Amino acid sequence: MLNVAPPKSSWQAKVFPVLTAIGWILVMISFVIGLSLSSTASGYFGENTKESRDGAAVGDALLGDLETLTVTPRWLEPLTFLGVASFMVGIALAFSTIPNLLSNRGQVLNVCFPILVKKGE
Amino acid sequence: MREIQKDPKPGMPFNMIEGMMPMFPMIAVVGWMLVLIALFVGFTVLSPAQSAFFADAKEARETAAAGSTFVDANVSRHVIEAWVPQFKFFGLGLGLMAITMALGTIAKKLRHMGKVIAAHMPANLAPPTPPIPGRVRMFQLSTVMGVMILLAALIIGIVLATGVVPDYFNHTIATELNTAEVNSELLSQLGTVSSYAKWLNPLRIVGMSFLFTAITLALTVIINTLRMQAGMLVQFYNKASG
Repeated sequence: MLNVAPPKSSWQAKVFPVLTAIGWILVMISFVIGLSLSSTASGYFGENTKESRDGAAVGDALLGDLETLTVTPRWLEPLTFLGVASFMVGIALAFSTIPNLLSNRGQVLNVCFPILVKKGE
Repeated sequence: MREIQKDPKPGMPFNMIEGMMPMFPMIAVVGWMLVLIALFVGFTVLSPAQSAFFADAKEARETAAAGSTFVDANVSRHVIEAWVPQFKFFGLGLGLMAITMALGTIAKKLRHMGKVIAAHMPANLAPPTPPIPGRVRMFQLSTVMGVMILLAALIIGIVLATGVVPDYFNHTIATELNTAEVNSELLSQLGTVSSYAKWLNPLRIVGMSFLFTAITLALTVIINTLRMQAGMLVQFYNKASG
């Protein structure tokens, strides 16, 4: 049977914009946290001598800064790459809608072509 | 067959972007070359510098004076780490830009193909030529934005690599860097060299995100063009056969 209907919308077409939005949210969160970390690093290293940094005792704000500077990047980088991965999955899903569209186009052209030739004569 | 209408020429900067679009294979190769250069620098300069610096005991490394092999190696490895990652990401960015341009070229050819089919239809049955989708300009702008951010990151990396980074590390670690006093220039420089990567690395990813978004938008242009052209053909079929 000949198919002369426009292509149906696929689930991938609905999901890929959401993944792009998730990608942006994760990347922007990591950028903002990166700015905050940069400010902490600048203060920790740029405003304290090595002696005071090394001599920080338990409960000292300097030790808290050091903890932030060493702990945060361990989860922040995977979060950033999760954002990048979201973009990539979005792109892959967008690509995955194209074969069906091309297939539909082929079917529609197959039906229309004889009419085009006839009307063009 | 009726005459095919040409699209109006876009204004700046879109005419420049569209003029560059067919050059995408060359841009992709340039991007790949930049990443290759980064690998080459890693092999020939960064690795030997790391090797030279860690070739002796901690005490010897930290007491070496400015101008010595150890201090020079320390300067080299930090200078390279300031600009090479930005250079590498700029190369990756050019690769992503080439993909966007390739998709843009496909979208343009699809539009032309649609016009060719419409030109073969009888005038009373032919659909009007749709305007150029707004998303075309959006993906072009997103591409430019992404590449500009990566270029800005590279320039910042070069500025750091030629300024504060060598200035700071060209000192004896034990007697000058480790004894820097509060409000001294050295401690202020340490603040800069220890913090720039915390915001510059995420900034690079923001640049890459603009390029990924441009690819997604270019794909939506292709998808919508295919859907719209199929819809027009169905309309033509219904009118012609009905």
